[in-house]
Amino acid sequence: MIFIFFKNLFMDLYRQPLRTFLTLSGVVWGTFASVLLLAFGDGVSKSGKKSMHGMGEGIVIAWPGTTTISYKGITKGKAVRLTAEDVLLVKEKVPDILRISPEYIRSRRIRYNKEEYNNNIRGVNVEYQYMRNTIAQKGRFIDDPDVKNRRRVCFLGNTIAQNLFKDEDPLEKKVYVEGVPFMVVGVMVKKIQNSNYSGQRDEHCLFIPYTTFSTLYGQKYVSNVIIQPFPGQSVPVVANIREYLGNKIGFSPKDADALFIWDFTDLEKSLDIFFLAFNIFLGMIGSFTLMVGGVGVASIMLVVVEERLREIGVKLAVGAKRKQILRQFFSEALIIILMGGLIGFAFAALVLGVIPMEKIEDYVGHPQINVMVGIVTILILLAVGSIAGLMPARKAASTNPIEALRSR
Amino acid sequence: MIDMRNLKKVYKTGSIEFEALKGVFLKIEKGEFVSLMGPSGSGKSTLMNIIGCLDTPTGGSYYLEGRDVSGLTFDQLSEVRNQKVGFVFQSFNLLPYATAYENVELPMLYNGKKAPERRQRVDELLTMVGLYDWRKHRPTELSGGQQQRVAIARALAMDPPILLADEPTGNLDSKSGEEILDLFTSLWKAGRTILMVTHDTKIAAYSQRTVHILDGKMEADI
Repeated sequence: MIFIFFKNLFMDLYRQPLRTFLTLSGVVWGTFASVLLLAFGDGVSKSGKKSMHGMGEGIVIAWPGTTTISYKGITKGKAVRLTAEDVLLVKEKVPDILRISPEYIRSRRIRYNKEEYNNNIRGVNVEYQYMRNTIAQKGRFIDDPDVKNRRRVCFLGNTIAQNLFKDEDPLEKKVYVEGVPFMVVGVMVKKIQNSNYSGQRDEHCLFIPYTTFSTLYGQKYVSNVIIQPFPGQSVPVVANIREYLGNKIGFSPKDADALFIWDFTDLEKSLDIFFLAFNIFLGMIGSFTLMVGGVGVASIMLVVVEERLREIGVKLAVGAKRKQILRQFFSEALIIILMGGLIGFAFAALVLGVIPMEKIEDYVGHPQINVMVGIVTILILLAVGSIAGLMPARKAASTNPIEALRSR
Repeated sequence: MIDMRNLKKVYKTGSIEFEALKGVFLKIEKGEFVSLMGPSGSGKSTLMNIIGCLDTPTGGSYYLEGRDVSGLTFDQLSEVRNQKVGFVFQSFNLLPYATAYENVELPMLYNGKKAPERRQRVDELLTMVGLYDWRKHRPTELSGGQQQRVAIARALAMDPPILLADEPTGNLDSKSGEEILDLFTSLWKAGRTILMVTHDTKIAAYSQRTVHILDGKMEADI
């Protein structure tokens, strides 16, 4: 039964190559498009999140601003200023803060031999690396003795390191910042980061101890503060920081502009929702494409049923039940669709294998066929196949054997 | 074997009713070879379809091997067709993509018989109709007479008590036709009940008894 069924199916597909090609092509193309869309959607969401983590993971950034509400007799319009000492005290006074770092930012001329660039210098502390994911690929990040002793050491972003040193090993070498020598202690590992909250992306920056920064450039007040609350605690932590610093420095805790806060954990949540919606949207486009292919299969199968009326009549006459005929034509449609799906899947895998990933990684991440993409595609294929198979199968099963046997 | 009493068939098209069978009485005993004759429009095809359980009557009773089959559903009738009736058609109605072997095997596939049993039966039947050496050929590679013999082998696959033949020689040259009729005769002599539709008295002469239908009613046996 099974054997004669497959033989019948493949003979039919083989005898009508053009029809088979056209039928399959819709499904192949639909599957191909679906898989690619889903794979790219997945790649984009992952790289979006990764790129977000390039800026930081679960962090809150605070910028001192200007008061807009009068507070304790001081009129509005006062500039809020924070010293590094203020920042470090926050961690002791406000509960649920995991890490905190002051940050000074300036542009400076950075030179090594004849290569010179005007890039960002960031004065930070040790905990900064864990919050901002500035992980060392070579050497190390700035450490406690560096900060304590105001050492003139620096940690390089991977791009500036490449630009300055080319093929040379930068470790232990001296770079000159406005003529002042700094020893390179580490180079950052490459990370995906599309933007930064202020200044250049980390790959172009030079990180030095904040103590060295403020001493060297005579800068007392920090540019901004990076805070990492315990997971899920960002809202109370932000309120408590406003309360504490407001009291200490003199601004209203309700004054949003006195201390401008950017809560990344919030952003991350909305990003998750956005990417979910984005992927559902892509999945829908894919399934619509596939549905068009399914309509093709359904209409061809209807023609096939018409052509094979006599065969159906003979089968009914020798004792086939209607549900057996239904099953036969239903599985034929389903097999055509699954076959097309398999080919489309193979094509998509081939294309994803051929695309030079390094060139697109910064924009769309690493699109690949993972379990999620596979399961979603198979579900869509089965759904489309069932719908496309049922119609012709019902038509076949409702054949009147008397008329079918009489047909020429 | 076949016992029809006051069998009626009325076709309805909208409000128009057409009475194709107006109370048919027909009795065929086991082991008979009967010819059914009648002009076109006489209700001959309708009667054959009902006898073959492809269609159901709208009135009267039809006993096949002692069982009333007039009230069965289509799928219940499928089983009756599979086990009790063997069809032989004027245009053979073999599956074009299947070999002679597979065509003969077909009714057994719908009955869930095991492969060794099917193989034995198919080989036996093809040997009987003299086409064992042609078992791997498709219908298009066979002559008309050979195709009809494959069809007869298929009709006998489930060893049904009755064989229904609708103008079995209509598409054949006279020599092949004679061969087919000789085959029927030998089947009959071996104990099979056969009902054959024909419009040719020479062909009807092969049978033991001829019944006539006219305007939806049986005429007296001749």
